Amino acid sequence: MHGRVKVRTSEEEKARKEKERQEKLKIFKNVMQKIQFKRNEGELDQELLELTGNVLTSNPDIYTLWNIRREIIIIYKKDVKMKENMSKLYDSELQLTEYCLKINPKSYGSWHQREWVLTMRPDPDWKTELSLCNKYLKLDERNFHTWDYRRFVINQCQPALKEEFDFTTEKLFDNFSNYSAWHYRSKMLVKLYPDVEGGRPIEDSHHKHELKMVQSAAFTDPDDTSAWFYQRWLLGAVKNSVDLVVSSVTTSKSFLTFSQYVSKEFVKSKVQIFINKTLVTPDWSSCTGNHYDKLWLFKHNVSIEAGMDIKVEFDKENGQKQIVSCVPAETLTYVGKGNINFQKYYSEPVLKELKDQLESCRQLLAMEPDNKWTLLTTTIFLNCIDAKLYHNEVIDNLKTLQSIDKLRTGYYEDLKTRWCIENQLYRDYESNDLVYRVSFDDKITCLPHLQYYSHCEKVDLTNQNLTTKVLPSLILLQNCKVGDKGVRQARCECRSFVLCLHPYSRLPVFALYDTLCSLLICDLLTNFAFFTDFECDYDLVL
Amino acid sequence: MDDDLPTDFQVIVVGTGMVESIVAAACSRIGKNVLHLDSSDHYGGLWASYNFDGLQKFIKEVNSDPKRQLQVYNLSEKWYIEKDSPQEEKKEEGDENKTDDSKSQPSKKVWSQASFAAEYRKFNIDMTPKLLFSRGPLVELLISSNIARYAEFRCVTRVLTWLDNRLMPVPCSRADVFATEAVSIVEKRMLMKMLTSIVGYNEEEMNNEFKGWNDKTFKEYLEHKGLTPNLIHYVLFAIAGGTNKMPCLEGVKECKKFLMSLGRYGNTPFLWPMYGSGELPQCFCRLCAVFGGVYCLNRPIDKVGTKTVDEGKTVVTIDSKSKTLNCDHLVIGINECPKEMISPEPVESCDISKAVFITNGSIMASEKEPLTLLRFPPLTDEDNTVTVLEVGPATGSCPKGLFVVYFITKKVKDAETDLKPYAERIFDMSGGDQTATSEKPKCLWSVMYNVRDTSACTRSTVDSVHVCSGPDASLDFDRAVSQAEQIFKQICPGEEFLPRAPDPEEIVFEEEVPRGPEFRSDDADAEHNE
Repeated sequence: MHGRVKVRTSEEEKARKEKERQEKLKIFKNVMQKIQFKRNEGELDQELLELTGNVLTSNPDIYTLWNIRREIIIIYKKDVKMKENMSKLYDSELQLTEYCLKINPKSYGSWHQREWVLTMRPDPDWKTELSLCNKYLKLDERNFHTWDYRRFVINQCQPALKEEFDFTTEKLFDNFSNYSAWHYRSKMLVKLYPDVEGGRPIEDSHHKHELKMVQSAAFTDPDDTSAWFYQRWLLGAVKNSVDLVVSSVTTSKSFLTFSQYVSKEFVKSKVQIFINKTLVTPDWSSCTGNHYDKLWLFKHNVSIEAGMDIKVEFDKENGQKQIVSCVPAETLTYVGKGNINFQKYYSEPVLKELKDQLESCRQLLAMEPDNKWTLLTTTIFLNCIDAKLYHNEVIDNLKTLQSIDKLRTGYYEDLKTRWCIENQLYRDYESNDLVYRVSFDDKITCLPHLQYYSHCEKVDLTNQNLTTKVLPSLILLQNCKVGDKGVRQARCECRSFVLCLHPYSRLPVFALYDTLCSLLICDLLTNFAFFTDFECDYDLVL
Repeated sequence: MDDDLPTDFQVIVVGTGMVESIVAAACSRIGKNVLHLDSSDHYGGLWASYNFDGLQKFIKEVNSDPKRQLQVYNLSEKWYIEKDSPQEEKKEEGDENKTDDSKSQPSKKVWSQASFAAEYRKFNIDMTPKLLFSRGPLVELLISSNIARYAEFRCVTRVLTWLDNRLMPVPCSRADVFATEAVSIVEKRMLMKMLTSIVGYNEEEMNNEFKGWNDKTFKEYLEHKGLTPNLIHYVLFAIAGGTNKMPCLEGVKECKKFLMSLGRYGNTPFLWPMYGSGELPQCFCRLCAVFGGVYCLNRPIDKVGTKTVDEGKTVVTIDSKSKTLNCDHLVIGINECPKEMISPEPVESCDISKAVFITNGSIMASEKEPLTLLRFPPLTDEDNTVTVLEVGPATGSCPKGLFVVYFITKKVKDAETDLKPYAERIFDMSGGDQTATSEKPKCLWSVMYNVRDTSACTRSTVDSVHVCSGPDASLDFDRAVSQAEQIFKQICPGEEFLPRAPDPEEIVFEEEVPRGPEFRSDDADAEHNE
């Protein structure tokens, strides 16, 4: 018919494509064989460069070929005759990677090869590299390969940080659903606007500005998690100092615990112990044997008697000296405590911003009471602003969250446990009892801040919702002893423990009874660091 | 005049407006034998784009020919600048420098009527400026038919509205809502919630949500949802393009249309054709020609008739330049169609007030050259909403340093009375020193006119004559596309409407002609190319 155009049918097209594919495959196999052969024969030459280059242009993700190219380039670099051509060779290698990136902008091999070439050559052009990053981030602002490469380039050419910071602003305004950009921004912030005076990570006005910006993102699209994550970082971006938490000295064992994990070197250099005004130079060992630990045991050769004067001096980060006196809690058991504070410290302006944001959150909550993110953020604000004052509201909110966000009940349980324990700790810490007992109605699901109770002799964790995952942390309960017949044993009455331990496992084996049954420690425990100190004269109650 | 134009066609299309061109392309595409005529020397009819010279001709024609005034009337052109520029020489240099970036050059060019005339070819001024919704029927059709390859588009960069006596950007996408400082954090949430729920509702949820809203206004709905006055303004006037009286369900539909088109190509839901809307009918004509359609411009028709041939079949006859052309189907633009062939059913219509302004700057400064849609809420109760489109040099609409601004509204009184109060809000229309810095851009030239509304679907008295509507006042081409499809279905029942046209490499040629020798360019050729 006149004027009608004849077009290949889909079967014809399919057959044609299949034929092309087969031919391609044949060529590919052939070339790969040849490449392997040449390399085995040690023919690392121009021809091999061309062969690998050809394959890479159609499939940039074959690492082996990139590595073969590196071998060749390294050989050429050592070759005096090649000296003049090296610059050209590097250029063409960069061209190849750029071509490959066009095919696959997320090709690890291509980006890495590019990075390698630039570190090899004596005259890298970082400006070009930076504009390459800009180009690729324009095409896909979330390509983390490009962000990664950008960090490498920036590290080399050291441009003005402000420009990089503004670049993240630009990208976030295009699309704030971008973990890479938020992350990069946080890195820039800490470098650009550190709080010199207050010893906090970010200067106030910027901290405030960031909080505002991220709230705007979070409220625009509460289902986008990237903004929430950045907000959590901002709220947590306060410096935490290391505190000396508990010092305990008994006839059999002495130890200190810290609020964070510290190394032996740290302890050695920061801590001085005086017994009867004489400085002792103890032998330190961590309770787990790890390099960093919260609990450090120390051996000294003073025999502990009644009426001793025991003092621990700790050099704090701010240059002050903390002096802790250990007082007898029982005969021959000396315990010293410092001050505790779980409240994060924010400066006045930031605190005011947090309060304003809390207000907007409350307004929103009135409109959408079931919005999980708003409720969670409200709760976190409350806890950040004044955990003691808002304790009951915080706990109520967490309970509501559990009902509206069922998938994360465990997370909310753990948060609840943590904040309840923190709340209880203020009182417990004041008391001289050697008892750790949960004093609120809600059952705990984890054991946060356990080092604060390391001096306790009686630990009652009965009828809680603990699982076996807490077992390794029990090692912090170094003084725990409960039991009849004078047998020392950690008695941890737990509910619904899951028993899933293998006889050859390195973990302790526990026997599980019904809900109120006690959990006993079996003989295998002797192999476990925690219990080495126990006289494992266990009695198995059935 | 004698010509070798064949006389028998399956389909003859008269007029190269949007609807006519789409029908012509669709018929030709499935193998119909198509002749496409236009009485004037250019494509598009009332849908055309003109350069400045062509526009002057058009204005002269309208003002002198009473017949043209049936379509276009109340036309008034006005200059706000001198005939000749005092420093003609210097200007040329300035023009050279301007190629980089208009921002880098602080001193503004002084324009004169003569300098407009000198650069007349750089203007592409639309008679029917329209936008495409990124997921609207025209975009989908351009893609599915593969006609998109004949056109280029630019994204509209921003949507503005008039709020509290000033221009305000409308936060319409997620990124905008995030970046704007014009609304509070709580408002952001409210706005996003409103917008996402409108997009997200399925049919059942729609029915539940809008039960009982049938006879209420969209504004009442937004108020009911607790939106603040600012947000209501954004949603009602700028996103839905409505008025206080807009019915609720229509508002929801318009919002949905706007929102569904977000995020496909740019930060707004709209595309603007490079070199103007007048390009689009031509793209369809091109496809028609590629599939064998015959084109003849400057070919007025004198008479349309019908005759019955042997088998009792009716053939439409057209007398044109002392030649009689026969066809099975005639597709004809409403303005070309003999009155007696138009079915006398009364149609509801409201004429259109339009204006074009040329200014020396954007209505709202921006870092990169903007392409703006501004939706004016009615300034008085009588008025309708006014749609404003501002296009710059990057769209090929005007020389560097200028902007072309279109105003469109439904006619109340006449174009000037309807539109001037709006123009005065955003332009400095006092003439005077062009280099003076002022908040508003200077208006350098304007034309205002009314267009008869011929957009309602009109039937003809003869079955095989199909009448195509003229342009309507709406923002997009959707009505033209759906009308064209309807007409095509009547002519070719059961046939596919504009199936994908193959790319050259997909085409099989009957005889596989052995390849000739490689093309070799020698010096002579190179010179020839110069």
